[in-house]
Amino acid sequence: MASIVLNGDTSGSVTLSPPAVAGTQTVTLPAATGTVMVSGNMPAFSAYRASASDLVLTNATFTKMVLDTESFDTNNCFDTSTYRFTPTVAGYYQINASVFTNWVTSQFSSFRIYIYKNGSAYKASQVLISAVTDVWYGNINVQDVVSLNGSTDYVEIYLYTNGGSSACYNGGITQTYASGSMVRGA
Amino acid sequence: MTLYEKIISIYPELNVSDVRQDPFANGVITLQNDSDGKGDYIAKWEHPTLAKPTDEELA
Repeated sequence: MASIVLNGDTSGSVTLSPPAVAGTQTVTLPAATGTVMVSGNMPAFSAYRASASDLVLTNATFTKMVLDTESFDTNNCFDTSTYRFTPTVAGYYQINASVFTNWVTSQFSSFRIYIYKNGSAYKASQVLISAVTDVWYGNINVQDVVSLNGSTDYVEIYLYTNGGSSACYNGGITQTYASGSMVRGA
Repeated sequence: MTLYEKIISIYPELNVSDVRQDPFANGVITLQNDSDGKGDYIAKWEHPTLAKPTDEELA
């Protein structure tokens, strides 16, 4: 290694800031080509449904999970009106979601939570129950790493129940929520 | 009456008790609600023998 080459034809400058304390630090670059990720280009969000009241799900209908309140949204990529995450940086994103549900069923039925990518089911998790005479309560979770192009790709969370009756989910920051963050660039 | 209930009233044979055989659960027919206040709609209908109900039938 004999030199550092700075390419590019835009104006401005690149500043490398050493720590404001004495000492010797070493930054080691891997023998690979790629984009250095810093906090400013690694979108992350966490959102939840604020209301604790029950929302009744229509039987056999994929219903988008309400996520109307943000805990944080570092790059303004999450929309609390459409409940959609559209990151502006291409890469691989860890997506997590959890729903607190309660329902009663007298027949074999399921409750599912989905990660949707660009309007289609991408990954799911479900609980199958043969019959419940009392109310079934619990959280159902889904998570996966999703490749998103940083412009048009988006993810949403959908819920589905079939065969039960009075299937509901409620809210609160600790009960029904979703989050996402970049784990590496494209 | 929900959209699902209307469809079941038109095609009672779609009312399958076992969710594992249910066309609504397995992607043959997809009913969707985007929580935008516009209500339920048919997002996909790929049933091999039953025709998608018309708007008049679902009204």
